[in-house]
Formats: sequence, structure tokens, C-alpha cells
Amino acid sequence: MRFDRRLILNFDWTLLILVLILCTIGVLNIFSASYSFAGAKANPFYIRQLQWVLIGIFCMSIAFCIDYRFICQYAYVLHGIAIFCLVIVFFYGFATHGSQRWISLGSFSLQPSELVKLTLILALAKYFDEHKLEQGYYLRELWIPFLLLLVPFLMILEQPDLGTGLILLFVSASMFLFVGIRLKSLLYVLTLAVFMMPVGWFFMKEYQRERVLTFLNPERDPLGSGYHIIQSMIAIGSGGILGKGFLKGTQTQLQFLPEQQTDFVFSVFAEEWGFLGGGILILLFTSLVLWSLKIALHSRDFLGTLIAFGLASLLFWEVFINTGMVLGMMPVVGIPLPFLSYGGSAVVSLLTCIGLLLNVSMRRYILQP
Amino acid sequence: MFGLKGRIKGHEIADYRQRFRLIFAIVLIAMSLLILRLWYLQVIKGSELRQRSESNSVRLRKINPLRGMILDNGGHVLVDNQTSFDLVYIPNRPEDKKQVISKLTELYASRSWKIPDEFSAIAKAHPFIPSKIDRNISREKLALIETHSLELPGVAIEVVPIRKYVAGEMIAHIVGYVSEVSQDELERSKGARSPGDMVGKTGIERYYDAYLRGKNGAEQVEVNALGKAVRSLGRINPVAGCNLVLTIDAYLQEVAWKAMAGKSGAVVAMDPRDGSIYAMVSSPGFDPNLFNGGISTENWNLLSRDPQHPMEQRAISGQYPPGSTYKLIVAAAALEEGLISPESSILCTGSFDFGTRSYRCWQKHGHGMVNLHRAIVESCDVYFYVLGKKLGVDRIAWYAKKFGFGAVTGIDLPREKAGVIPTSEWKLARFKKPWQAGETISVSIGQGFNSVTPLQLAVAYSALANGGTVYRPQIVKKIEATDGRLIKAMKPEKQETVPMSSKTTALLKQGLWGVVNEPRGTGGALRRAEMDVCGKTGTAQVVGLPASEKARRAMQSARIYQDHALFTCFAPCRNPEITVAVIVEHGGHGGSAAAPVARKVIDAYYKKKKYGDKMPAEEEEKLEEASRNRSTSGEGRRRRASGNQDE
Repeated sequence: MRFDRRLILNFDWTLLILVLILCTIGVLNIFSASYSFAGAKANPFYIRQLQWVLIGIFCMSIAFCIDYRFICQYAYVLHGIAIFCLVIVFFYGFATHGSQRWISLGSFSLQPSELVKLTLILALAKYFDEHKLEQGYYLRELWIPFLLLLVPFLMILEQPDLGTGLILLFVSASMFLFVGIRLKSLLYVLTLAVFMMPVGWFFMKEYQRERVLTFLNPERDPLGSGYHIIQSMIAIGSGGILGKGFLKGTQTQLQFLPEQQTDFVFSVFAEEWGFLGGGILILLFTSLVLWSLKIALHSRDFLGTLIAFGLASLLFWEVFINTGMVLGMMPVVGIPLPFLSYGGSAVVSLLTCIGLLLNVSMRRYILQP
Repeated sequence: MFGLKGRIKGHEIADYRQRFRLIFAIVLIAMSLLILRLWYLQVIKGSELRQRSESNSVRLRKINPLRGMILDNGGHVLVDNQTSFDLVYIPNRPEDKKQVISKLTELYASRSWKIPDEFSAIAKAHPFIPSKIDRNISREKLALIETHSLELPGVAIEVVPIRKYVAGEMIAHIVGYVSEVSQDELERSKGARSPGDMVGKTGIERYYDAYLRGKNGAEQVEVNALGKAVRSLGRINPVAGCNLVLTIDAYLQEVAWKAMAGKSGAVVAMDPRDGSIYAMVSSPGFDPNLFNGGISTENWNLLSRDPQHPMEQRAISGQYPPGSTYKLIVAAAALEEGLISPESSILCTGSFDFGTRSYRCWQKHGHGMVNLHRAIVESCDVYFYVLGKKLGVDRIAWYAKKFGFGAVTGIDLPREKAGVIPTSEWKLARFKKPWQAGETISVSIGQGFNSVTPLQLAVAYSALANGGTVYRPQIVKKIEATDGRLIKAMKPEKQETVPMSSKTTALLKQGLWGVVNEPRGTGGALRRAEMDVCGKTGTAQVVGLPASEKARRAMQSARIYQDHALFTCFAPCRNPEITVAVIVEHGGHGGSAAAPVARKVIDAYYKKKKYGDKMPAEEEEKLEEASRNRSTSGEGRRRRASGNQDE
């Protein structure tokens, strides 16, 4: 591949710095969240998170070095591999907290559902780029994208991992709407969705029904998810405007918070840094999403636009649903907060996504007429 | 490179700009909603929520479930639950700590109760995190604490179920005991367990912990400033654990336990037809009730420092040389390999010369001409030295492993040991030295490197009894839910079939029958009126004995150099129903120290079979025993009286 000097000139420093700031906040926050019980542990969470960030940055640099059009030629293959990993999980994976989502790779474990988020976006982008319709799609023209979504979606629901399943659904829906669906087709889908709800209810796991019911009426379950939400809101609220200070969050340090280094990591941050910190964090995320959308807008080809848009919607939905849940605006679903929640697979796959965004961004001027 | 395909045309850009404007707006609105909500929680409701976080008057209280009961095969309760009152301290206000410590110490001192070590931990207690400061307190303590509760802010009484080991010491090694989950186990359980949970540490309590444990319940309660629960906000009931029905027969277990009183060693009684364990005793024992509500340091030291190791489950983890009981394995191998005919005889002169050494027979003066049958009946060592030399160590080992030696039997109990069945390869790997032919001589009478567990011995003799099938020994018959619903019923599992012809089996059984029922047999103690028991004595040397007679005498007088006594038997001869293996550590001779224990178990088995749960009173029992003793031939008693050694 011929090297182009403009690649360096157009490197997107804003995006990179934004992400590095978020990663730094993430590691410090995990340090605080696991501070009280880290104790004598040889390999505390924040060190491991730091290691994952470094591995992620390595993957990120691979992801922006190779032209995204080259990567996308293999989008279906990559998606196939990711789905195959899900199959492996289905048969050989191991379970934590009653859900089977991990593959063990010697000393560390891999969560293929994180990988699928990325490959689904690439596969959908490739499909819509190759089958471009100016006037929007009819349902019958969408069966391949539906299939690309449905196979991993059902397998992830089976694990069960409602959170990741919902993310796949929302990201795909955003991309469908973005490329345009005929109004009539859209109405069909919506009607179908309404009728499918009771059926979906039937297929839901017991704990998922509990959570939906609890969301509709938190008083119903003051012990399970209800307790989590109450403690999370107490933690956030008690932070006040300026927060209690780093390592000083009583809710966090006394471990009233559930899952405080993974799904409820935002409560830890908001308790210790207050409205000022929490607000700035949300603004940082907003900037990240808007910047990604800007990359989508300025991409020099449709494929780049689609990839960047898909990734932007992934970031948006994860931030919005996680924060909304922690703030008690949405039911409790297990969705991690990008860059802040502890989790190796998530951090590595997110940084790879950022690599792709950098990729699209820095190639925007090449071959522009 | 990729051409111009897919590039956005001019008019499209305008269209997409429209779309992007909409999307930008949606993102901004959504994110503003989050910020508004954050403002509402942190600024508008901030001070209120801050207060709630400081008092945090809402507590999540765990409710411990009842652990499953453990029953014997007749439904008699062996392990039950009872209620324990524990003293818990939840520090609400740090300034109270001093007052609480001094008041508690004063109260305890006034009645001269021992002050628990945990009291000193109060000073270091983290706010809001409950810690247990005294367990299983008496009614008297309970009453005293309750009357002074106003002076003891943060001190509460917690009612928790604890174990009650009804059958006590006699079954301690089988059922094991429970104690609070350790930090290490907590981390490994990945969230499945929470601090304060009780987990099985040994025995069945450990092996079947997942079934016995049940599921924690929880209650959310509001507490006042004193830390007392004011009202319940919601409750999830705990789910009790499953009950286990054992294959153990409590009566046989008790008889075996009493027979071992004052001895150390093990007894295993099992059903050779399917591998069910009837009784399994390890002696000396310990009282598992000591572990209830946490064992005291004092008691723990007593148990763990006892030179007799009462905590060790000798039946499955004690490894002993099998001694003469091993000769049957050697005989089976020689018969199957066609190396001997049952009739061919060997002259025993009392010793066997091999290389530069002379190997003794236990009968100093020799047995004269012995064939296979006589060799088994009289346990002639020289006969088996010759067989061992013909077979070689590796062929003996191959057959021994078929009988289940040298590997764990797979019984449903933790910490089972495998024992050692030496091969030339094993020795090379272990000691980096080649196998010496002389070592085969020792191995062929069950000495040398050989070591087996009492359970392995019972399993191997069950295989001899049933014609060659090695079953996995099982101790749990079935698992039931608390409402009696069957969760799981265990099935017999065949593990191995010994390649042994029915002719070989018959010959060996005849030999074993002779050991007990023929004149000069070494197992006369088992000679019942019915003449139906087959068995084999064994005497295992603990240390190699010096050659000089004088030095031997001196050494043998010390208890720890005394030989281990072994006896294994099954009955009835035709279609055996019970196998018993007994090992008495430093007991001396198998026929005199171990066989009487086996006799008691066999008698108890038949008595139970005859009367079921309606046992006759003691006196009738004695009468019966007297008549039985009369009917046994005088041979055995005479032999024992004359001090004739069996091996």
C-alpha cells in the first residue's frame, strides 16, 4: 500500500485525546471503586484495567493502520468468526453470575459478545454500501441485514445477556433508520414489534421479567434490582455539587453499591466528584459521540460514513442506557459504561472501534476530487 | 486503489446534512436529559440523599437457609439443625464503640464468663458492617444482653440455624463438619457465596455442599439510631437445602465404632453387589458438634495437635501396607497367567533364599509341602515369594490395578488417597533407581512399597466376592427435596472388571473359606455356626525388622513399631452380601486384633437382617451369643490361647 503523507497530517488528535482522557478517568475510578477491598490482592482491578487499556491501544493502532475499505472486504468473514466464537461459548464457555458468556483462553477469558458489536457494524456497513438505495428500503430488501443481526442477537439472549442484545438491536435499528426505510415498511415493523411483545415476554428469563416489572414499579422488589437502584441514587445524590472527594465516597467504600466497578461505576464517580464531575463526564461523552458523527458526515465515501455512524450510535446507546439506568431512569440491564467500566474484552473492543473511527477520519481527504 | 465507487455525490451530501442535523439534535437532547436528571439528584435532592447515605438506615439482612438433613438408609436422622443465638455488632456511630466494649466486658465479667477474642475487634470495626462478636450464646447471656440493650447501641441478636450432629463422634469422619466460608473460598466462588455463609469443610458436608446448602434469603429492614430493626420493608424467604439419604446403616456404624473403641484404625463395610457403603469408621474420632458456631482455639489445638490425628479419615486417606491380604491378588495373577496349577506344591522350610538375602516365612519352622489352598489358608509367605518371583513386579501391579489398587476409588467423599502399587517404571521415576528383583519378593506378600487404603481393600475383596466387578463405592443413596420429592437417586457404577475366570474365583473363594473355617486357618475368629464367612488375615510390618532375634524383640515391644493388624472378609460365601475390611494400627496380628472387629460387624449385619429395627433386648442377645460360642469349634480358641501367632 502506498504511503500518503496526508495520513499523518490528517490524524485525528482530538478524538485520540478525548478517548485517552476517558480511559485515564476510568482507571482512576476503578482504583477508587475497588479501593476498600483491594487489600492484599496481588493483582488489583485497576492494574488489570490498565493492562487492558494498553492492549486496547495496540489493537487500536492496528485498526487505524489498515485502510477500512480493505478491512470491510472481509466484514462478513469477521462477523462469521465472531458468531462462531459465540457458538463456542454456547457449548464450552463458562458462566459467572448465572450467565454463560465467556471463553477461557488460558490465563484470561474472552467475551465474544463484545466482538460481535464491532463486526455487526462492519457487516451492516458493507451490505448497505453495496446495496445502496436512494429512496429507502422495503422490508424484503432488508432480509440479509436482518439475518446479520438476528443470529448473534438470539444467541446472546440465550446466554442470557439482555444488555448486549439490546445494544445490538438499537445499533442496528439506528443504522436501518439512517440508511432509510420506507414509511410503510417502518409501520409494518413497528406493528409487528408491538404484537411480538407478549411473545418476547414468554421467552424472557425469569430474572429479566423481574427487572422489567421492577422498573415499572420499584417498590415491588426492594431487595434485588430495586435495592441496587435505591443505593445507586443515594450514592449519586449524596455527592452533591462538588462531590465527597477521591476515595471518600462512603457508599462506594462501604460497598453499599452493587457491581461498583462494572455496571454501576458511574455512581462511584458521581458520588466522589459530584455534579461538577458527573456533568463534565457526560459532556465528554457527548463530545465523543458528536465528534464521531462529525467523522461520519465528513467521510469521503458512503462506507466510511456508515462505519463511523454505526460506531457513534454504539457509543451513544451504551452511554445513554448505562447512565440512564444508574440514574434510575431506566430498568437495570447489564450494559457497561464505555472506558469506565472494568472489563478487558469491552475496553479492547471499544479501543478497536476508536481505531476504526481514526481510520475513517484520517482518510477523509484522500482521493477527494 | 479502490476507485471512485461509493463516493458521496453532491446532492446526497445536502440530504445527509439534513439527516445529521436531526441526529445531532437527538443526541444533544438525550444527553441534556441525563444532565438534568443528575442535577435533580445531586443538587435538588442532594442534601436529602446525603442524609440518607450518612444514616443509611436501610439494611439488607441476609437470612440463612436451613441446611439439608443427613439420614441413614433406614431414615434415622444423623445430622439435623438447631437454633443458635449470635451476638452481632453493627457500628452506627463511632463514638459509641468504647461504651459498647466496656459495657459488654463489664456484663461478661459480672457473671465470670469468658470474654471472647472478638470483643477487641469492635474497636476496629468498619461503620455499618456487621461483625459477629459471640456465637451460640446461652439463654442466660441472651436474657442479660436483652435487658441491657439500651446501653448497647448497635448490638443485636441474630438467630441462625446451626448443625446438630445427632450421631456424634461415630460418624464424624463421614459427615464432616461445616464452618464459616473463608476469604479464599469467597473469592473462588465468584459471587455464589457471601460472607457469613456456612460451607462444608470435610466429608459429605463438603462433597455435597451444593445440594445441602440451600439458597440465602434476604430481608430489607429499616433500623433506628441504635441499630435495632424497626420495620421490614420486604423479604425473600430462604430455600432449605436438600436432604441426603446415605447407604450407611446407623446400627452397623455404631457396632463398628464401638468395636474400634480404644484402637486406632479403620473399618469399612460395604455391599459387594453394588458398592454401597454400610459402615465406615475411622478411629479415633472427634465430636463434630465442637465445630458448631465456630470451634474454639483451645479445642482446635487439642484436635489438630493430637499425635493420634483424630481428624484424619483413615478409611479413605490412611495408607497402609496390605500385608498378607495382598496374597490373593498375587494368587489371582498367577492363576490367570497360567503360572501355577492349584495342585502343584512348594516346600516351605521357613525361609526363602534369594540373591544374598534370606526371606523369612512368618512360620519359623516352615509349613512343609503347601499347595495354593494350604498357602492361602495358612498364609504361607514362601509360597508367595515363589509366585512373586515368577510373575515379576509389573504383572502383579497390572492385576492389582485391575482390582482398584493404586488409584482413588472415586467414592463420593473429599480427600481420598490413591495409595501406591509399585512398578519398575514407577520406581525409576520416583527414585531414579532401577527396580531390584529382591523388592518383588517383599511386594508379593504386600510389603515393600505397597500401600493401600482400607476402602480400596474392601473394594478389591468385593470384587473377589462378586466374581470380578469393581464398583465405585458410594455413600449417598439418594438426594431428596425437603418435601420428600426425589432429586437424584444414585445408581451402581461399574468401574472395572478383573479378567478372572470363574474357576479362579472359585479357587480363591475356597481358600478364603478355608482361612476362616478349616483347622490351622488364620481367621478362626470369624468361624460362625453357619460356617459362611470367607476372609483373610494380614499383618503389615511398620518398619523393616533387624535380622537378630534379640533386636527384633526389643523393637516390637514399643507400640509404634508394632505391626498393623488387617482383616478382610465377605459373607455369605455363596452370593456375598457384605464385605468388611478392618485395619487396627499397631494392633499386632490380623487374626487376633482385627478379626474380632470384623466378627462383630458381620454378626451385627445378620442380626439387623433378622430383626430389622426391632432388636431384641440385651439379655437375649447375650444368651444367643453364648450358644453361638459353644458351637464354634474349639480349634480357634485353643490356637489363640496357646499364643500361636497367625503369621
